[in-house]
Amino acid sequence: MYGSLDISTSGMIANRTRLEAISANIAGSDTILNQDGQYEPFRRRIVTLAAGDPSGNSDQGVHVASIDLDNGPPMMKYEPDSAFANADGYVGYPNIDIVTEQMNAMEAQRSYEANITAAEATKSMMSVALQLLA
Amino acid sequence: MPDPLGLLGYAAGLNRTGPMVPLRGGSEGPAADAPAGGFKQMLQDQIDQVNELQNDAKHAMEDLAAGRRDDVDSVMTATLKADMAFRMLLQVRNKVMDAYEEVKQLRI
Repeated sequence: MYGSLDISTSGMIANRTRLEAISANIAGSDTILNQDGQYEPFRRRIVTLAAGDPSGNSDQGVHVASIDLDNGPPMMKYEPDSAFANADGYVGYPNIDIVTEQMNAMEAQRSYEANITAAEATKSMMSVALQLLA
Repeated sequence: MPDPLGLLGYAAGLNRTGPMVPLRGGSEGPAADAPAGGFKQMLQDQIDQVNELQNDAKHAMEDLAAGRRDDVDSVMTATLKADMAFRMLLQVRNKVMDAYEEVKQLRI
C-alpha cells in the first residue's frame, strides 16, 4: 500500500548521500594533507546509484551502490617554496572543479525535491481516495 | 515488457472491455474466505497495525530529536504513513458509527 512512499524515500536518501559526497568534495577541494598530516591530496568522491533495495530484496527504489575515489592525476600547481613541492617545484592539489561540484549539488538538490514532490502527490492521492469513504 | 512495479497486470485487468470481474472469487459467496473472527477481528487487527505504525513513527521521531539518527526523510515518511493509516481508520470508524446511528433509530 505504501510502496510509492518507500520508493520516494529511497530516492531522498540516495540524493542526500550524493549531496553529502558533493559537500565533502567542495570542502576538500584545497586539501593536500590527509588526517595524519601527511601529504596526500584529497580525492574526489564519486557516488554511484543502483536500482533496488539491498536490505529488502526488492527491485523497487534506488540505493547508493558505492562511493568511489577519483583515480585521476592531481592538479599540479607551481609552488616551489612549499614544503610539499616535488623536485620540479610543483605541488599536487585535488583535481576538483568547484563549478562542476556546484552543478552536481544543484542536480542532487533538485532530485531530492522531485522525490518530495512525488511523495506529496502520493499523499494527496491517498487523501482524495479517503474522501470516497467520507 | 518489463514490469518492475508489477502494475501492468493490474492495469490490464482494470482496462479490459468485457463485463466486470470480481477481484476475488465471487461464486463461493463473500463469507467463504472471511476470517474466523469476522468484522470485529479484522477491525481489531487493523487498529493494531495502525497502532504499530504510530509507535514506529513516535520512536523514529524520538530518535531523531535525541540525535540517535539523522535521516529526516525516513522519519517523515514514517510519520506520513502513520498519519495516513490513522485517517483511514478514522474514516472507517466514522462509517461504522454512522451505521450504528442508523440502526439505533430504527422503529420497532
